[in-house]
Amino acid sequence: MADYFAGIDIGSTMTKVVILGDEIIATVIGPTGVEQRRLANKVMEEALSRAGIPFEDITYIVSTGYGRINVPFADKQVTEISCHAKGVSRLVPAARTVIDIGGQDSKAIRIDANGRTKDFVMNDKCAAGSGRFVEIIADCLGVPLQEMGTVSLKSKNPASISSICTIWAQQEVTAGQAKGRPIPDLVAGVHRSLADRVVRMARRIPLEKEIVLTGGGAKNAGLVAAVSHMLQTALLVPEEPLITGALGAASLGRNMVEKAIKKGISLETKKRVLDVVQIL
Amino acid sequence: MNGKNSVISSRVEALYRDYGKRAKELKDEGKTLIGYVCSFVPVEMISAAGCIPFRIRGDINEPVTKGDTVLETIVCPFIRSCFDLALKGKYDFLSGIVIPHGCDSMTRSYSTWSYSLDLPYAYFLNIPSVVKPASFEFFAEEIKTYKKTLEAFIGHEITEADISQAIKLHNAYRNKIRTIYDFRKSDPPMVSGVEISKILTVGTSLPVEEANALLDEIIEELKTRSEPPLKTGKRILVDGACVDHAGLVKLIEESGASVVAETTCNGMRDTFPLTDEQEDPFTGLARRYLDKINCPKTYRENRAGSFEGNIADRFGDIGRYAEHFHADGAILYVYKYCDPFGFEVPARKAYYNAIDLPLLWIEDLYSSGTMGQIKTRIQAFLEMIEQ
Repeated sequence: MADYFAGIDIGSTMTKVVILGDEIIATVIGPTGVEQRRLANKVMEEALSRAGIPFEDITYIVSTGYGRINVPFADKQVTEISCHAKGVSRLVPAARTVIDIGGQDSKAIRIDANGRTKDFVMNDKCAAGSGRFVEIIADCLGVPLQEMGTVSLKSKNPASISSICTIWAQQEVTAGQAKGRPIPDLVAGVHRSLADRVVRMARRIPLEKEIVLTGGGAKNAGLVAAVSHMLQTALLVPEEPLITGALGAASLGRNMVEKAIKKGISLETKKRVLDVVQIL
Repeated sequence: MNGKNSVISSRVEALYRDYGKRAKELKDEGKTLIGYVCSFVPVEMISAAGCIPFRIRGDINEPVTKGDTVLETIVCPFIRSCFDLALKGKYDFLSGIVIPHGCDSMTRSYSTWSYSLDLPYAYFLNIPSVVKPASFEFFAEEIKTYKKTLEAFIGHEITEADISQAIKLHNAYRNKIRTIYDFRKSDPPMVSGVEISKILTVGTSLPVEEANALLDEIIEELKTRSEPPLKTGKRILVDGACVDHAGLVKLIEESGASVVAETTCNGMRDTFPLTDEQEDPFTGLARRYLDKINCPKTYRENRAGSFEGNIADRFGDIGRYAEHFHADGAILYVYKYCDPFGFEVPARKAYYNAIDLPLLWIEDLYSSGTMGQIKTRIQAFLEMIEQ
């Protein structure tokens, strides 16, 4: 029987699960919502059913992301920094820099050939450096979020959005609209503004190639283009950029178990049950 | 010994939680307490005057409200918190304050302190920001002026013998702190960073003789301690301005590491340098405060002639402390709007890089509300140096 490892990444917006055998067996992505604990159970259940394995066959479970403490069945918690580093390295062995643009924060991580973190920077105090910025502007312009990227790519003359605050940028966009600026120009301007903030933060660590973009932001072609334009280099985007954290968590879980076996010690694990969680 | 008879978990804890508890009693007994901020106030002179120096601290759990009606938010959050507490009456037992030219936030808020609190004694201490031969001469004279204002306030002379005696007592305090630091050298340390943070904070809220007696008891307790308070973990040096609360250190130690040194304003930067007891007291004090306290507010000329030599010259003490206490990594903790540290972050980062000590730089507000946000960064940093 193969060994299975699970990684669960509870981000501010999305919850992701990866079940790992020798290869990825199953992945599930669902919205986090307010009831993190209940949802953790639900996505785990879904992942197990897709993988077609019983819960007790999972050797080790690592949780990560900002809701990592809200996973009652996780054997270990690891920060999203270490998990993204590991997950990206597994998918793109040549990666030396990870830029992750999430729902409520963004981060840049310098990694080595083994997927170990060498340095990192994080922006977690302001929405203007995160996916939330695009969401708010999409809402304000009445453009569906998933179309923001393609809309922005239609622009030939991106608007300049100079505010460094989400709320004020929103006002700038509204003012631009009143002046009759085409929506693609405004959307492209917003993407440049977000890319500018992310790149400025990321440049605090030496950016070495290959640079891999992950998180919800990597699903937005307009944002990928803007970041790439600012860095004057091509970026790599994994096929599913949302799962790198969960994949890294599962993969680190495997490393921990292998290390423990080598040392002849056994790791403590939680009971493999998905209890009904009472939300207080 | 961590039980009921522990000085650290009972007396130190009580004095830390109710900061100023003992000062209130002393005030009721008729003693005169003089408050100060920063490491640059020669507290020896206050003791020599027969008064009690009391280090004003902030409170990360108390939102700044009243203080913001008179101080703008460009003033650093630490000084604003200290001022806010003073304005709310937390330090009503003080009869005076001394604020040094320690940073822009202190200098430019001094007048607000003095008229808002309206205490019988208030002094702005003009400590030079440059270390040159003339600076020592100037500062020795300034200390004499400071002495005269204290004499006018207490109504009698402060003799050289009084000052020499106070220098001895404060040096003894610093030596005892060093002895306590020695218990950190083992792995795991026999005293936790949280305990030391509280001891350092409490120590500057008491008359120096009482503080010395308390430290003696703490040293005795540590000598008989059989179990280390923390498990073996990565050893962290905390670098930065005044960290007079245990919040940050607690977060680091709860994440599995031990804080083994702190080059902070209320840590080793202040407690390790001694005043030369052989010298004339004014020269001795001028040298200790001006030159031996290695604060970024003091400009030191580039004697080395190169950037590498300059950072080694300016920050060499950090590297020596890191080596002495076997640090595996450092956390540079800087408050937003802190002018001395804020300006110096790139040079400090370059220094840590040069001595190959992994560094996490955190810019924070002086508030418990942000502790959760920085937790992930601390944990990620520890994972990084553990792998």
